[in-house]
Amino acid sequence: MRCLLIDTSSFFINVAIIQDDNVLFNYNEKIQKDMSSKIMPIIKKGFDSVSFEISDIDKIFVVNGPGSFTGLRVGVTVAKTIAWSLKIDLIPISSLEVIASTPSDKKYRVGIIDARRGNVFAGIYDNDLNIIKNDQFISYDKLKEELTDDYEIFGLDDKNIKPNLIKIIQKHITDQSINPHLLKPNYLKLTEAEEKLNDNRSN
Amino acid sequence: MNNKYILGIESSCDETSISIVKNGYEEIATVVLSQMDTHANYGGVVPEIASRMHVESITLVLEECLKKAHMTMDEIEYIAVTYGPGLIGCLLIGVNVATTLSYIYNKPLIPVHHIAGHIYANNIGRQLKFPLIALVVSGGHTELIYMKEDYSFEKIGGTLDDAVGEAYDKVARVLNLPYPGGPLVDKLSYKGQDTYNLPLPLDDNTYNFSFSGIKSAVINVAHNEKQKGREIRKEDMACSFQNRVVEILTKKTLKALKEYNVQNLIVAGGVAANSGLRSSLKTMCEKNGIELTIPEIKYCTDNACMIAAAGYYAQKTGKKADIDLKAQANVNLT
Repeated sequence: MRCLLIDTSSFFINVAIIQDDNVLFNYNEKIQKDMSSKIMPIIKKGFDSVSFEISDIDKIFVVNGPGSFTGLRVGVTVAKTIAWSLKIDLIPISSLEVIASTPSDKKYRVGIIDARRGNVFAGIYDNDLNIIKNDQFISYDKLKEELTDDYEIFGLDDKNIKPNLIKIIQKHITDQSINPHLLKPNYLKLTEAEEKLNDNRSN
Repeated sequence: MNNKYILGIESSCDETSISIVKNGYEEIATVVLSQMDTHANYGGVVPEIASRMHVESITLVLEECLKKAHMTMDEIEYIAVTYGPGLIGCLLIGVNVATTLSYIYNKPLIPVHHIAGHIYANNIGRQLKFPLIALVVSGGHTELIYMKEDYSFEKIGGTLDDAVGEAYDKVARVLNLPYPGGPLVDKLSYKGQDTYNLPLPLDDNTYNFSFSGIKSAVINVAHNEKQKGREIRKEDMACSFQNRVVEILTKKTLKALKEYNVQNLIVAGGVAANSGLRSSLKTMCEKNGIELTIPEIKYCTDNACMIAAAGYYAQKTGKKADIDLKAQANVNLT
């Protein structure tokens, strides 16, 4: 089984090519801007470095949110175009689950992405990546109140994130594939214009 | 001659569009998905909403276009994409689809400037004659461009402030017309009289335009009438505004045609659909022996057919991009 994984959901660009239980290529770099122009050269670099072509992959995993709106669109656009072109399985993954796959001694891991103005996107996972609490948009203070168990937070500073890609893929390898046309980013948040319109309507 | 099929991709504002064009002028199939109804709820295009809608629909639009053309990606020779100018979040979607397709199918990528696309809307079903003057009029642009030959653009004048379409939309808002108001101002103008004595915008010796003055004049009149407890006569205001705008566009275009000694005029951009402008330019061209070309209405607004057409000539003049193509919100036409 050959898989491509794409994650452009936050300040990292992560592209991995995985064959069975081996990570053959893993590009992980902090990128603040130009995610859009960097993604394809990195994917090309990946396939130039392995013994097979992009057309030989069986499944594509894409991190579809939550996270940076623009970043999510880059990854999702590329992934759905590849899946549509090659007619291969497409499986969306949570960005917070990826962060929470970082090894820890604690019972629960909280994956977090900064959502500005004191807010975060947060999801709580256990050691087997089961969802304990669904990904949500929440103020950081409120989140801390909710956390009472044995947990470790990942994602507040980027240094301690070490996603376990094999674990994520094993967990999702049998997931139902999504039709590429139907794949969209999971923003977890309306646009400001929509929020304002809803407020006006409900007043 | 080898037939060359170009796939064009356009997503710079609120239309998701993909098209296949043969040899730069023969339209094979075009799909345009407009988001206008959604943005009408907000009184204008909301960039983040537009970006979200592009990513949701773009592969469907692509599949639909290929189906309509009875073609596969393997039969495509080049992929042409609008890389700018436009709304950056929107441009990125088209550019990322283009770079991905270019890599997977191993097809050369051609970057197309959005305005070059509008100009080459005049090349669909026929071919441009040179030298020519192009009058580009849209919600984001008002420019006079001299073209000596294919894909050579010399900007000789442009707006110093608002684009003409922008001025139309703002005047429409003053008149309380629903979005998008520009076409409604055009329609209303025929029911009114030119009574408001608005100033002729930037009537000088250059090829430049300025529409902020006339827009302010409209706002002032509306304000004064309101203070006097009177209703503004919408039809008359639309007529007065349209007459002055069309007059200056026609006047400066004629000046350019004469001074550059050019017999061909093409009009491009969304405002090329304006019937007042179309008829004024037609009269001026007939009087002066100029050959006038205006795209069909469906090619005036944003579409990928014009991008694929422009892409053919861009490619001929050596324009190409790699899979690291960058979308640019602001970029000059060269």
